[in-house]
Formats: sequence, C-alpha cells, structure tokens
Amino acid sequence: MAIADDEFRRLIETHQRMVFSIAMRVTGDPSTAEEVAQDVFLELHRSIERLANADHIRFWLRRVAVHRSTDALRRRAHRPEAAAEEWVEDHSLEDDAPISSTGLQARLDELLRALPEPMRVVVVLRYQEEMLPDEIARMLGKSAASVKSHLHHGLKLLRRKAAVTMKEYVREPA
Amino acid sequence: MNQPEELSNEFEQELTRAMRGVDPAEGFADRVMARAQAAVPVRAKVIWIPRRIRMWAGGAIAATLLAGVFFGEEAHLRHQREQAAQQQFELAMRITDRTLEHVQQQLSDAGVRFGH
Repeated sequence: MAIADDEFRRLIETHQRMVFSIAMRVTGDPSTAEEVAQDVFLELHRSIERLANADHIRFWLRRVAVHRSTDALRRRAHRPEAAAEEWVEDHSLEDDAPISSTGLQARLDELLRALPEPMRVVVVLRYQEEMLPDEIARMLGKSAASVKSHLHHGLKLLRRKAAVTMKEYVREPA
Repeated sequence: MNQPEELSNEFEQELTRAMRGVDPAEGFADRVMARAQAAVPVRAKVIWIPRRIRMWAGGAIAATLLAGVFFGEEAHLRHQREQAAQQQFELAMRITDRTLEHVQQQLSDAGVRFGH
C-alpha cells in the first residue's frame, strides 16, 4: 500500500534539513543539492513499504543522501579535490599550528569543498550528523579503520586549510 | 598556547557548531510532493461488487451464453431445413414441368389442339 500524502509530507518536513544539508555539503552546490534531495525523497516514496520504522527511515535517508550526493559529484565535470591536492602540496604547514576559530564558520563550506570526496563525506557525517566512526563505517559499508583514517586526514587537511585561510585573512587588511 | 589534543578538541567542537543543518529553499516539500504525484501511475478505477452479486452476475452471463449457443444452433438447423425444403420443391417443380411438356407433346402428336 502506498504512503498517504499527508504522511509523506510529514516525513519530508521532518528530514528535509538533514537530507539537504548532507547533499549541500557533499556536492557544494545549492541547485545540485536541491535536485539530489528531491530525488532522495522520491526514492523514499517508492521504497517506503520496505522501511520498518522511524529509525530505519532516518538511517536509510542518510545513506541514500550520501550515495546520491557522491553520484552527483562524480557526474560533475570539474574535480575540486584535484585542486585541493595541489593546494596542499603548495602550502606545507605545521600540523599543530594554532588556529583561531574566528571566521571558520564562514569559510567552512568552502574548505569542505576542497576536501577529497571520501574525506568530505566522513567529515560531514561525523560533525554534521554527529555519527560515531563505527556507525559511519556500517552505513558506508567500509571498515572502521578506513573511516577513522579518512576522518583523521580530513581533519588534518581542514586544519591546514583553515590555518592558511586565517593567515591570509589577517594579512590582507595590513 | 593550546596543546595539540586540546586544539584538536576545540577545532572539532568548532566544526560541530559550524556544521549546523541547512534548510532547503522555501516550498521544498511542495516541490517534492508535486513530483511524487506526477510520478504515480494512473490506475484504473476498481469498483467493488459484493460477492453475492458477482455470483449472480456470473450465473446470468453463463446462462446468456448457453442460451445464445442453443438458439444459435436451433436457428442454424432451421435454416438448413428450409434450404433442403426449397431444393426439394424446386426439384419437384422441374419434374412436373418435364412431365407436363411430355404429355403435351404426346397429345400434340395425336392431333389434339389446345387453346385458340
């Protein structure tokens, strides 16, 4: 039996922020994120009979949002992660350089877009969805060690980029 | 200066704070609902008929079919009988015509004149 319209609308309104945020941060593009988020909910509409309860629906939405977002990212012509690798090569910094938190929020989405895709996905799930590494591993079908490694390297890259961004930010007005 | 572990925690806390959920543009649910409704295939309307009526209807249809077969067969046999009778009548008429012609010829040969 198909889901009733008002029940489906309630599911959309409950989860739209989570699904759109994952899509937005993984793809880095609002219009792509909108399209991905709509597709995820349409897939939910077709698959709702197989989902047992609210937790299952939430888990399913997260997983499908991540997969559809990475699919969309791969379809896009440009590859920001390639630029990110070059960027890292050109700016070797100390890992534990002090970082001010001021201005980080404003730069965060831009910094995330520069992360390689697997690291970006893990960082989004860890810090946006506040999932534990083991949960992320189960969801992505990867080993916990692999997730922890992506998380560690993703954080390290983000910290480096944040440090340089902040330096530039401070230097420019002078 | 912060220790590396503290710095990492601080950075992670900052990340968690910064990565708040982002809402889609206004009307997102309406747009999804419109697409979902457009994607649902139109199904033929199913009318529920009570079991008893369905049984009666089935019986009536079967009886109509049997009656049709019976009366159809009857009409076919009647048509065949009519055709056979017609052929027999035509044959009898031809025999009668020939007999009359033969009698007329014999009378004519005997010098009997008919008519004017």
